Amino acid sequence: MADELLEELEGEEDTQKGKFMTFQIGEECYGLAINYVQEIIGIQPITPVPEVEDYIKGLINIRGKIIPVVDVRIRFKQPSFEYTDRTCIIVIAVKSTVVGLVVDRIAGVITVDEKEIILPPSLSQSTSANRKYVFGLARIEGEVKLLLDPERLIQDEDVSALDGAVSGKDALAEV
Amino acid sequence: MGEDFNTDSMLDMFLYESEQLLENLQNVVLERKDEDCFDETSINEIFRVMHTIKGSSGIMMYENITKIAHKLEDVFYYLRESHPENVPHLELVDHVLEVSDFITAELDKIKEGDTPDGDESSIVADIDKFLTNLKSGITQQGEELPPENTYVAPSQFYVAPTGNESNKYYKMSVYWRSDTQMCNIRAYTAVYSLKEVVEDMQYIPDDIISNESSGDVILKDGFHMLIKCQCSKDELLSTMGETSGMERVEVNECTQQEFEMGFHDHGPEQIVIELEDKEKEPEKKEKKEPAPGDYVIKSKEAGKGKKLAKNQPKQQPKQTYISVSVEKLDSLMDMIGELVISEAVVLQNPDLKVPGLDLTNFQKAAGQLAKITTELQDVIMSMRMMPLTNTFQKMNRIVFDVSRKLGKDIELEVIGENTEVDKNIIEHISDPLMHLVRNSVDHGIESKEERIAAGKSPKGKITLEAKNEGGKVYIIVRDDGKGLNKQALYDKALKNGLIGNRSITDFSEKEIYQFITFAGFSTKEQVTEYSGRGVGMDVVVKNIQAVGGNLEIDSVEGAGSEMIMKIPLTLAIINGIVMQVGKSTFVIETNAVKEFVRIRKDMIVKEPDGEEYIMLRGECFPFIRLNRRYHLEESLTEGEDGIVVVLEHENKYICVFIDKLIAEQEIVVKPIPPYIKKVQGLSGCTQLGDGSIALILDIAGLIAGEERK
Repeated sequence: MADELLEELEGEEDTQKGKFMTFQIGEECYGLAINYVQEIIGIQPITPVPEVEDYIKGLINIRGKIIPVVDVRIRFKQPSFEYTDRTCIIVIAVKSTVVGLVVDRIAGVITVDEKEIILPPSLSQSTSANRKYVFGLARIEGEVKLLLDPERLIQDEDVSALDGAVSGKDALAEV
Repeated sequence: MGEDFNTDSMLDMFLYESEQLLENLQNVVLERKDEDCFDETSINEIFRVMHTIKGSSGIMMYENITKIAHKLEDVFYYLRESHPENVPHLELVDHVLEVSDFITAELDKIKEGDTPDGDESSIVADIDKFLTNLKSGITQQGEELPPENTYVAPSQFYVAPTGNESNKYYKMSVYWRSDTQMCNIRAYTAVYSLKEVVEDMQYIPDDIISNESSGDVILKDGFHMLIKCQCSKDELLSTMGETSGMERVEVNECTQQEFEMGFHDHGPEQIVIELEDKEKEPEKKEKKEPAPGDYVIKSKEAGKGKKLAKNQPKQQPKQTYISVSVEKLDSLMDMIGELVISEAVVLQNPDLKVPGLDLTNFQKAAGQLAKITTELQDVIMSMRMMPLTNTFQKMNRIVFDVSRKLGKDIELEVIGENTEVDKNIIEHISDPLMHLVRNSVDHGIESKEERIAAGKSPKGKITLEAKNEGGKVYIIVRDDGKGLNKQALYDKALKNGLIGNRSITDFSEKEIYQFITFAGFSTKEQVTEYSGRGVGMDVVVKNIQAVGGNLEIDSVEGAGSEMIMKIPLTLAIINGIVMQVGKSTFVIETNAVKEFVRIRKDMIVKEPDGEEYIMLRGECFPFIRLNRRYHLEESLTEGEDGIVVVLEHENKYICVFIDKLIAEQEIVVKPIPPYIKKVQGLSGCTQLGDGSIALILDIAGLIAGEERK
């Protein structure tokens, strides 16, 4: 599976436009703009770092590069889960920061037309924990995918709380 | 039309090359500064450097650099040819350094994107005077003086050729006297001045800029130009101007066809003619009319080839270096680290453990592979390391300059200049080091009179020492000057309000010495050109801290002082002890470890607030349980089961409780990704042989954390 996805990444910038890599966390299916994704690797031993936020699981070593790993479930304030062989780490690069995201399962790559992206209803801004990471919704084959803004995702909690509502449209413009 | 090149890449080349040359020059000069005169090799070297700089700056049209380099070249040309005696050596050294400084300053301007507008005239005049004196001193030897080169400043780079009806075509040939130097540069000057009026031109040899030996070709066969312009013969001549050494200029009109044919389209027959011509009338050269065949360059190229071959060995060393971005080196290092791990995976593959397998050949090959990877690791490590030699050599210059200006006689001793340090660190310590050396020369060493009065040798001594110790590089600047006066330091600090109202007894000696590193502190009453503005030392300390180092100051009043920069070898390999607590692996720098002890329960002293101490041989040390400190699970809790590591950092001790020791090994320090907030007590991470990650404990951080409680 990972190989197929990597092949997808080989393409030009243009062919990546509107493509999202989808993955499952708990019951929800999330999407991430594919140009952020560097690679997908199977779960590997994570070295915990003491005294850090609970969602930072620790460090992994990818070919000599040491990168931090974030458990997306915990980041979304959902109960943590046992890592299995199906568990994957998506390595994303946001600007110069490279971070691994632990997700339940990789679903695939979808193409979303920009016009089909629905902005999340602004009513529930403060209620849902993961609201601020999601910049839009897309309905593909009857299933709703939550499109994530990776910058917010890896950003510090405090910082993102400060400028909470601004990001939606910005991120949309980037995609 | 040979000048239609891209100046950007040339500029880089020019800057890089000139800098290298100047550095070279300084080394040569400083090496010989204490002797009576330059020996022949160094004269030649300086001559060559100036010559090259002159040539290249001429091409880049940095007029002032060209002029000044030319002047100095003249001096050394004279020295080389005439071997004058009684050369005022120190004066000469000064001139050379002055010129080199001037050019360096101009190069800096160019780098910043400014125009090099420094005024060279006063230096040129000085050198002129010096040269005249030199010459007048020994004219009786009757040796031929080097010809005076005059450099005509080009005011415009290139005039684009435009078509016009009234074009005239000329052939122009210029011959120089046989003793003329640098014909190619002169020819170039001529081309430049002509460019202002001509529409289009060609010339042979066409490589006058890039090939120095073309000068000799020109000297021998003249410099030939084909010119398309709208002006008359006389105008051409006056535009070109009379440069010295020019023997004869011939201008003939020619047809457009001839012009368009250029120099290069001649058939092979004409080469023969040309060769014959040369054989027949070498003596008649004066009267020789330029015939079409004369322009053929084929026969000349043979000669040029020889010249080139002769020049080659000199230029070789410059090209043996290539600069590579540190990023690439880092990634190479990562990859090699990975390679080592993959190697282990292959060589210890469980598939090989099948009983009855004959692995003799495999083991042989594996041994070879292991050898290569180890070597590869060594190479990449050494690539990042550079000896301090260059940095120290620069200090040589500073001591020389400052001590002479201040009228002090100072000897600089350099120890351990071959100590290798990570390149990044070298860049960071160069400035602070310079400052410390200046301080020592200026403030540390007393004047001759004072020294004699104090019963010391009139010659002051500064020692620059580098050594590797305890995983750190020590760079020491030591002088045998007057040392620091504690009372004066205290009074000054008090006066400047840096320490509040605390009395002198509140401070230890070292603390008082540290006052000089406070911002806005300067004990010297008089501000000199070199130091004493009181902004120096705090900047020095900041710079050193930026690379994770610190500055220690020690002094004995009347006997001298010592500044010790302690700089860690970040990114370099450190020797570490790998240990385990629960499931986590930690590394501690071997040098920080004083001892390992097994303790008994009764050695642990517990305070009511939960803080623990260990009584060891009658001494009491703070005790940290890593598992508690970092909330690690599944680790040992009983003191008897684990091991206590006694760590030392700057004379402070701390005991750390761990589960077990694993190994001692060399590790590569890597920073913890910045995404993870700084954790106190951790300074980095590293990759162990099996690919897993271990965290490096920062002893200073641990101690600080303990103290804050």
